[in-house]
Amino acid sequence: MFEKTGVATREMVITKFPPIERINKGPVAVVECYQKIPCNPCQTACPCGAIRIGEDINEIPQRDESLCTGCGICVAKCPGLSIMIVDGSKSEKTVEFRIPYEFMPLPVAGERVVGLDRAGKPVCEATVKRVMNPPSFDRTPVITLEVDRAYLYDFRNFRREA
Amino acid sequence: MDENTIICRCSDVTLKEIRELISQGYVTYDEIKRLTRIGMGPCQGKTCGQLVLREIAAATGQSIADLSFHNIRPPVVGVKLHLIAEEAEKHED
Amino acid sequence: MREVELLIIGSGPAGLCAAISAASSGASVLILERSFKPGGQLIKQTHMFFGSESQYASYRGVDIADILIEKLGEYGERIELMLNATAVGFYEDNVVTVLKDEKEYFKIKARSVICATGAFEKSLAFPNNDLPGIYGAGAVQTLMNVYGIRPGNRVLMVGAGNIGVIVSYQLMQAGIEVAAVLDAAPRIGAYLVHASKLARMGVPILTSHTVKEAIGKDCLEAAIVCEVDERFDPIPGTEKRFDVDVLCISVGLSPLNELLAMRGVEMKYVPQLSGSVPMRSESCETCIPGIFVAGDASGIEEASSAMAEGYLAGLCAAAKLGHASEDFEQRRSEYLKQLEDLRSGPVGERIRAGMKISQL
Repeated sequence: MFEKTGVATREMVITKFPPIERINKGPVAVVECYQKIPCNPCQTACPCGAIRIGEDINEIPQRDESLCTGCGICVAKCPGLSIMIVDGSKSEKTVEFRIPYEFMPLPVAGERVVGLDRAGKPVCEATVKRVMNPPSFDRTPVITLEVDRAYLYDFRNFRREA
Repeated sequence: MDENTIICRCSDVTLKEIRELISQGYVTYDEIKRLTRIGMGPCQGKTCGQLVLREIAAATGQSIADLSFHNIRPPVVGVKLHLIAEEAEKHED
Repeated sequence: MREVELLIIGSGPAGLCAAISAASSGASVLILERSFKPGGQLIKQTHMFFGSESQYASYRGVDIADILIEKLGEYGERIELMLNATAVGFYEDNVVTVLKDEKEYFKIKARSVICATGAFEKSLAFPNNDLPGIYGAGAVQTLMNVYGIRPGNRVLMVGAGNIGVIVSYQLMQAGIEVAAVLDAAPRIGAYLVHASKLARMGVPILTSHTVKEAIGKDCLEAAIVCEVDERFDPIPGTEKRFDVDVLCISVGLSPLNELLAMRGVEMKYVPQLSGSVPMRSESCETCIPGIFVAGDASGIEEASSAMAEGYLAGLCAAAKLGHASEDFEQRRSEYLKQLEDLRSGPVGERIRAGMKISQL
């Protein structure tokens, strides 16, 4: 199905998430790269050696959640925009996502937006906490959003209200 | 609807015309080129080439790899004749 | 007649890298570029590239062009870049005729030539395919990203390969609605990460679908699409209408190498490389000594492999001209290793098969 629609199934998505205990401890990268393609900037970018592809650049990246600090440098470096940071340490009710977002105009902190799933369907509300767009991100802004925990495996994108 | 499907944009040749020629036995790119001017316009066959070869392949049961395209000759884009003449004159001196 | 040591035709990723590689070995290079700007297709690639560090992965194509062009400058007079200059003929004794600025026509004789002329967009046959509003995806990308022109308001993309999905994403970045992306194949051809970027913006990707006909009087008003079976034949009764003012055709590229064909280089139709390609050695040299090919002109691949091929061809062409750098063997094997890495995965399977058939 994924190869027909570009929408990963829930089962596929869950395999890329670390255990919830790890998410609750603090930020960690979720690398949604499911296909063997010749690409390895995530490995090169990670300052902690937490993302490994190895000798063959076609291998699928493996993220070691014990080494990952959730710094997020990989998020803006992935050419496929397949990486996000999830952080469940801030609240028992919500989880924070840091996702790449390359559309103008950018949202602003405090803004309420519509949370979308992997098929672009509205699934929840989300609150923009922070907008990061430093030169080092090279025009791939990273947006921090707060989302109800119930949507941990569903939320993947957002849309600004008209 | 084939008469509204353009195969050669340079010379406005339709799929209908190409299919009719193929059905009459013109089953090489070169033959169809001579009859319709496909491949003789500004793009020199870059647009229509694959489309025509695919039609020939489908009609004759051959593979595109076994079909021949036309001979490729200079110039690959239009050049004004006076420019060619002026260059030639330079070398006569 | 002007004589040059190494003539490189095309200043896209392959041509620029070939020039840098050859000049760094000591060769004198003239690059012909038909456009007003060097960089080939790089200048409109606003997305980040795949690959590894050696091919500037995660840099945007448009920035890679700038990096490579700046590198040309390091070689001073050893590299000359001639813009608005189209190679229009390629004759015996390596004489190339050039049309410059549409008003000068002259000959250049080269001791060695690297053909890095890139590719051409394939077209599609369907009723009313000549209506204004129907474009090649590459043309739309040029309009938007080079000239800053909106091609329309609502687009239907035909082709879910990398170009189709990337251009769809860039259309959305430009504020243009993308109604859907179609592909006749049963699976998405693009890297799936690219497809997922579009999917989560709410753009449906419809595999096993094709465009049946375009509708419009003076310009495109709608497109009728339908499902196709496993033999790519339309399934009656599955028609859907999309009201769009732009139809973008992205059904693949053909290698552009007519100069090599007219020069008498041995060519072969290789479906895995998307068209007729020159037979060549591992070092990118054709059957005519001193004539090389690199990039999409040798078979359709990604820009990352075009760069690696350019470096390899430039290095080997320079060596053949007597400019073998001390580290020639080391560099040669490094570029070959890069190409092997880029082609070694499942997505490189077709390319590997094509390479085998087209090796001298």
